[in-house]
Amino acid sequence: MAGLLEAKEYIKNFYSKYEIYIKPVLKFLLALISFILINSMMGYMQAISGFAIPLMAALFCSFLPWSVAVLFAAGFMLAHFYALALECAVVALAVFLLIFLLYFRFTPKDGLVVLLLPLLFGLRIPYLIPVALGLLASPVSMISCTCGVIVYYLMKFASDNMTLLTGVNAENTSQRFRLMIDGLMDNKAMMITIISFAITILVVYMIRRMSMDHAWTIAIIAGILTNAVILLVGELIFDLHLSILGILLGSLISGCLAKVVQFLSLNLDYSRTERVQFEDDDYYYYVKAVPKIVMAPQEKRVKKIHTQRKTTTAAPKQPTTIKTSNGVSRTRIVEQDEEETWDSI
Amino acid sequence: MVNEERIKLMTKMAVYEAGEGKKDKAITGYFRSDYISLQILKSIVSATVSFVILFALYIFYDFEIFMKDIYKMDMFQFTRLVLILYLVFTGVFVLITYVVYAIRYNKAKGKIKKFFGNLKRMSVFYYH
Repeated sequence: MAGLLEAKEYIKNFYSKYEIYIKPVLKFLLALISFILINSMMGYMQAISGFAIPLMAALFCSFLPWSVAVLFAAGFMLAHFYALALECAVVALAVFLLIFLLYFRFTPKDGLVVLLLPLLFGLRIPYLIPVALGLLASPVSMISCTCGVIVYYLMKFASDNMTLLTGVNAENTSQRFRLMIDGLMDNKAMMITIISFAITILVVYMIRRMSMDHAWTIAIIAGILTNAVILLVGELIFDLHLSILGILLGSLISGCLAKVVQFLSLNLDYSRTERVQFEDDDYYYYVKAVPKIVMAPQEKRVKKIHTQRKTTTAAPKQPTTIKTSNGVSRTRIVEQDEEETWDSI
Repeated sequence: MVNEERIKLMTKMAVYEAGEGKKDKAITGYFRSDYISLQILKSIVSATVSFVILFALYIFYDFEIFMKDIYKMDMFQFTRLVLILYLVFTGVFVLITYVVYAIRYNKAKGKIKKFFGNLKRMSVFYYH
C-alpha cells in the first residue's frame, strides 16, 4: 500500500510538472483512438477510413479544447452515415443537433463523456463510466451519459443494419428514414442500458455521499451490482442479445478500474477517524472527520563522502606515544601523507 | 522578508483569476436580470431550432400518410396543437435555463465577492 501511495504521489508530481506536454498527448491519443474506433465500426466512407486523416484530425485536436474533438468525432460519424445513406446522415445530424442544442449548451465540458462512452463500449467496459460519474460528478451527468449511449447505439445500429439500410427498398427514402428512427426509438437494448446507467449513477452518488466508513468502495460495488442486475434482468425479459459473460466480465473489470479511479482521487484512513461535537448559536454539530492518506515520495539522495585530500604542503610529523605490552612507553613519528581518497554512494 | 501567508493568498488569487475567475468576471459583468434574460433568449433560439428538428422528424417519419391526410385534416386544430406543444417545450426549457443560470450567477457573485475580500486582506498585508 505504501508503495502504491508513493507511486500515486509520484504520478501527481510528474503530471503537475509536465502537464503542459502530457495534456496534448492525452488529448491526441484519446482523439486518435476514438476516430479509429469510429472508422473501424462504420468505415463506409473510404476517403477518411485510412490512418492519415484520423491522425491529422487527432493532431489538430490535441491543441484545442475537448469540445473540438467531440465535434470532429461527430463529423467523422456524419461522413460515414452520409456514405451509407443520406437519410441516415439526416437522422444522425438531427440527433447530434438536439444533443448540442438542448444539453451541451449548459455543460460543454461533458462532451468528453460522449467521446469516452462509445470508446469504452468498444473495449467492452462501458460500465466504468456510470460508476466513475457517480463517484466524481453529480446526478446531472446522467444526461451526458444518456447522450453517449444514444450516440453509440446509433453507430451500432448503422453498422449492424448496413445491408438493410442500403439494399432493401433502396429507392424508398421514406422507408429508410423510418427504419433509422425506429432503430433508435424501438431499441430496447439502448433503453435498458440508459435506464441501468442512470440508476447506477444515482446509486453510486447516493452511497458515496453517506457518512459511513468505506462509502466509496461500497458505492462502487453497489453500482456495479445494480448495473449488472438491471442489464441481466433486461436481457431475460426482453431478450436483448447481450452476452451474459460479457456483462459479468465487463462489470468485474469496470469495478477494478473504478477502484483505481477511487485510489487516484481519494484515499481515506478510516482507522484515524475522529468524531467531534460542538455547538454555536444556531446549530449543534456532529462532525466526523476522516483524514486523507498522504505519503510524500522518498527522495533519493546521492551522498558523497570525501576524506581530506592529499595536500602539497606536508603536515608536520607528529610524535606518537605507544605503550608496549611490557608497559614501556615508546615514542615514534608517523607519516601522515599516505591517506586514501574515495567516493562512496 | 517573505511573508508566507501573503504568498499563499496571492497564489490562490492568481490561480482563481487565471481560471474560473475569468468566467465569473464575465458573468458578474452583467446585472442578474440582464444575464438571465440573455441566457433565456439563447435558450429560446435553441428550443425553437430543436422543436423544428423534432417536428421535421415527426413529419418525415410518416411523410406519405401525412401528405395523404393533409387535405382531410383540420389545419386550424393541427396548427393550434403544434403551437401549444411548442410553447410547452420552450416553456419547460426556459424554466430549466432560468434555474440553472440563476444558480450560476449567484455562485459567480459569491466567488467574486470572496476574491475582493481576499484583495482587501492583501492590502492590509501591504500597509501594515
